[in-house]
Amino acid sequence: MSLRVLNPNAEVLNKSAALHMNINAAKGLQDVLKTNLGPKGTIKMLVGGAGDIKLTKDGNTLLKEMQIQNPTAIMIARTAVAQDDISGDGTTSTVLFIGELMKQSERCIDEGMHPRVLVDGFEIAKRATLQFLEKFKTPVVMGEEPDKEILKMVARTTLRTKLYEALADQLTDIVVNAVLCIRKPEEAIDLFMVEIMHMRHKFDVDTRLVEGLVLDHGSRHPDMKRRAENCYILTCNVSLEYEKSEINAGFFYSNAEQREAMVAAERRQVDERVQKIIELKNKVCSGNDNNFVVINQKGIDPPSLDLLARAGIVALRRAKRRNMERLVLACGGEAVNSVDDITPDCLGWAGLVYEHILGEEKYTFVENVKNPHSCTILIKGPNDHTIAQIKDAVRDGLRAVKNTIEDEAVVLGAGAFEVAARQFLMNEVKKTVQGRAQLGVEAFANALLVVPKTLAENSGLDTQDVIISLTGEHDRGNIVGLNQHTGEPIDPQMEGIFDNYSVKRQIVNSGPVIASQLLLVDEVIRAGRNMRKPS
Amino acid sequence: MKEIVTVQVGGFANFVGSHFWNFQDELLGLAEDPYADSVFKKQHLDMDVLYRTGETQQGILTYTPRLVSIGFQGSLGSISSHGTLYNHEPTTTSDVTTWTAGVSTHMAERHKKNLFLRSLYEEQDKTTTVDDRTVDRSGPQREYQDKDIVESLEKGVKFWTDFSKVDYHPQSLYELSGLWMDDWEFDNYGIGRDALAHGLREEEISERLRFFVEECDRVQGFQFMVDDSGGFSAVAAELLENIADEYSNTPVLLYALRAPESYVNLGKRKQTILRSLHDAVSFSRLSSYCNLVVPVGLPSLSTSQVSSFFCIEDEKPYHCSAIYAAALHSISLPFRMGSLAPTTDLHYVSGAVDVNDVVQILSGQSRRNKVAILDMAMPAPSLTGNEAGEKLLDYLHPVTPEIAEDVEDLQAVETMTIHGVLGPGGHQASAFEVKDTIHRAYEHATTRPKFCHLSMAHTPLPIPLPFPSIFKNIVGQHGELLENPAAGPSLKGSLDIHSIPMAVRLRSSSAILPYLENRLGYLRRYGVDRGAPGAELVRSWGFEKDELEDFGEALSKMVIELKPHREVSSDSD
Ligand SMILES: Nc1ncnc2c1ncn2[C@@H]1O[C@H](COP(=O)(O)OP(=O)(O)OP(=O)(O)O)[C@@H](O)[C@H]1O
Ligand SMILES: [Mg+2]
Repeated sequence: MSLRVLNPNAEVLNKSAALHMNINAAKGLQDVLKTNLGPKGTIKMLVGGAGDIKLTKDGNTLLKEMQIQNPTAIMIARTAVAQDDISGDGTTSTVLFIGELMKQSERCIDEGMHPRVLVDGFEIAKRATLQFLEKFKTPVVMGEEPDKEILKMVARTTLRTKLYEALADQLTDIVVNAVLCIRKPEEAIDLFMVEIMHMRHKFDVDTRLVEGLVLDHGSRHPDMKRRAENCYILTCNVSLEYEKSEINAGFFYSNAEQREAMVAAERRQVDERVQKIIELKNKVCSGNDNNFVVINQKGIDPPSLDLLARAGIVALRRAKRRNMERLVLACGGEAVNSVDDITPDCLGWAGLVYEHILGEEKYTFVENVKNPHSCTILIKGPNDHTIAQIKDAVRDGLRAVKNTIEDEAVVLGAGAFEVAARQFLMNEVKKTVQGRAQLGVEAFANALLVVPKTLAENSGLDTQDVIISLTGEHDRGNIVGLNQHTGEPIDPQMEGIFDNYSVKRQIVNSGPVIASQLLLVDEVIRAGRNMRKPS
Repeated sequence: MKEIVTVQVGGFANFVGSHFWNFQDELLGLAEDPYADSVFKKQHLDMDVLYRTGETQQGILTYTPRLVSIGFQGSLGSISSHGTLYNHEPTTTSDVTTWTAGVSTHMAERHKKNLFLRSLYEEQDKTTTVDDRTVDRSGPQREYQDKDIVESLEKGVKFWTDFSKVDYHPQSLYELSGLWMDDWEFDNYGIGRDALAHGLREEEISERLRFFVEECDRVQGFQFMVDDSGGFSAVAAELLENIADEYSNTPVLLYALRAPESYVNLGKRKQTILRSLHDAVSFSRLSSYCNLVVPVGLPSLSTSQVSSFFCIEDEKPYHCSAIYAAALHSISLPFRMGSLAPTTDLHYVSGAVDVNDVVQILSGQSRRNKVAILDMAMPAPSLTGNEAGEKLLDYLHPVTPEIAEDVEDLQAVETMTIHGVLGPGGHQASAFEVKDTIHRAYEHATTRPKFCHLSMAHTPLPIPLPFPSIFKNIVGQHGELLENPAAGPSLKGSLDIHSIPMAVRLRSSSAILPYLENRLGYLRRYGVDRGAPGAELVRSWGFEKDELEDFGEALSKMVIELKPHREVSSDSD
């Protein structure tokens, strides 16, 4: 998708020109992303050169779809994408903050100030803001049972910036329950243990949480059951297909008979492995009408499938590597790499296993499991765009919940933090700073306001009015954010608008780093245009 | 063993792949075409080896290449990565159902569909199921003719999709997005490695591959076409590493493909060091994960002997890739002969092998050498006259770069595929005739391989409409060489030429030594030796010194294995 941002032609620029080029690039990128921010931002519809369409409300996805060519813009974009990699959110805010830091700097520099002094001011302001954040954050106690209400509020805040309210609210419960399902006390949360699967289906509101696993493939034998209850689950990574090993392949040294003998020997080995599985099945299923399902990471060839089907076993091949882990967490048992000494203890359990077919797409549901520590969010939507939107949002939501649990804190949103931090810098910090570095602190403080300002702008409100009323309220000692419908101050706590602590921290940290680099530039050498490709 | 999964990685590889699939598509079309030449009706080739059968959600059956193609964002030109087969209604702003607060639209400049793609589109629109290509090619309702299409392709192919007539599965075409660079900047191993290090790209690609492998009952192998001139070789290597893990024991045949333009040297020392190190590292990595590597791509294809019957422009990937694709097509024929019913008439095809067999023949016998040389004859001469076999062997010329000529190697082994050639009576040569001719020629030759596996098929290479007009006048309608070519248009293309007899040969020979020694030399000189000028550079690609030394060791092993003065006593097999 070529949404090209500022493509200057100069080759090597002198210092001042380079500085201004950096500032312009930062502003340019800010302009593109600005309208994305918050629950009133616009969704972007990108129409590519082939007429194909991508839709996104997410800063991260948008950046990746853009063909950014300006090196400065690329630096900023990398920082923003790293922001998302690290903390899962805040891409748009990062780009806006960097852009605004550059914009504020431009004013000072035009008045003759040296960038170095500004950068010093940034450093002081950054440290002060991070300290302020520690005081400002709302601690959340995570005992045995995390406070579900606060988790929901954080998840809802983030989901509502990506999906319409009713859908966001429905997904809120799903993502919170998903994270709680996979969470183990005293261990880092591994979000990969939440599988995200999608299916084309009329209604987005049919998106649901499956306690268990949904696989994107089915059995490959016509006689295997499409639905089975009370199932033992064997999770394995064992080749059940005939493979030509190197020894049996001697092409012109061995004669046809030798070769056939070797093929037969190889086949026998595979059959023996299958037989071991069948033996285990017979052991555990005799005298009851329980079922037996094999989910294998390696291949299973038709003769093996035949044997298994005849023994009444349902078998799936080529499962995702990650599903080995997930299956065990969902169903119990263990993932085995060899069938030599398998015992009933290796087996997991699922109350229900069934297949769902849509055209050439097959899904296998492994449900009704006991005490699952892995689950699947099954996204449904009428078209690829809807599915992609929901998927992005779900990822954000999961991250938000995980962050909250791990941060043991949240931060009041809707611009409350930014306004409060700005007032703190202006009223408390600035006066402690010597000389012109004060102006750096001031520039930083004002740059923070880009968040509430943009939220206001995207809601069609007058930014000036909003900022005046918000800062005024803060100076009276009230912590307030922006009501995006009226522009009036609101208490984000009352409204349940919370952002992640780690996301905010990361933004405050990385923004000034990259802005300082861009300000202290000596010259910009444009990534050398190669002569090779004329195009 | 049956299915082959094809993976195309990078710019030029996708050009080659595009022609390759055009040939397959043409064969499929001709088999159904009542007006087609009879050699195309009974091909005795199992296309299921390369294709998969599928079904859309609407229940319409599909037949598409079993392919994952990886390219740069934007490299698909005017074609959507989802293809057209499984297509859903076009999207409009009213489809934004997940968001109520407003939509802003950003339009990229629209790529115009060229005449060829327009004609395909119109043909599809007519919803006729009959393939009436020969009769309706220049139907009255079209204001342009086939010759306009051919001309427009000659003038303006920019993307590989510009000349593709194949419908791809929506899982097939993967674009690397969010790299924020132009394709020419993506020019070394390190950059490619970085591209997969972050985000979900590697996982997404592996998932696509899994989609195609899961449905295979008995995979015979992977066929990789890799543009190894830049960052894409790292992309391929990461993927191969994953394959070696996940699909262990499934053989991988890899073509390392290069366009002539990738050899253009800017003459700067820094550039030379970068390129050389890239070549060394890229070859080391790729070769360690596959069973057979075939380097393909001459610095100047146009002036090489392979091009005796063509007039091609080296700067046009559209031209060069067509030649290489033809060779790859020929190599793949024996892979599709085996899975047919045993009753198959040996008259039509013979010499079935699967990927593993070829790997074993070439690399697993008296010597371990996994780098093969590709020779080709296009068109192959007919097997008439006294010295027909000698003539055919003479016509075979290498398209593998950096090899030694006229080496005598008593240990050489080879596989050869000859198809569509005419025999003495002017009819399709039978398997027996082909075998006999070649064996007789080798008997008389001064140098002959220790072993030669021969495969043959009746069906020649079909020339589809979007094939470039590169044939010299001397080439006839069926690829025969004319004694006195009629004066006509200076170059011939798909409208004049319908099919071409082909001969290709993969050879495992010590002639590959310069290729290996060059890479070993680059690695040592620029990367490993004390004070090597590129040591810092390779480190920035993520390789530590001991890793490089391992590469060097592996390379020198390959070299020693092929040295003629190798001690006979050393672990002879
Ligand atoms: N109901 C609300 N009213 C006002 N502001 C809100 C509300 N909900 C969220 N916000 C604010 O919106 C901002 C987040 O917007 P958004 O998620 O679009 O951008 P981002 O997180 O910076 O980037 P991205 O999510 O694209 O990576 C936060 O500052 C948050 O406090
Ligand atoms: Mg967000």
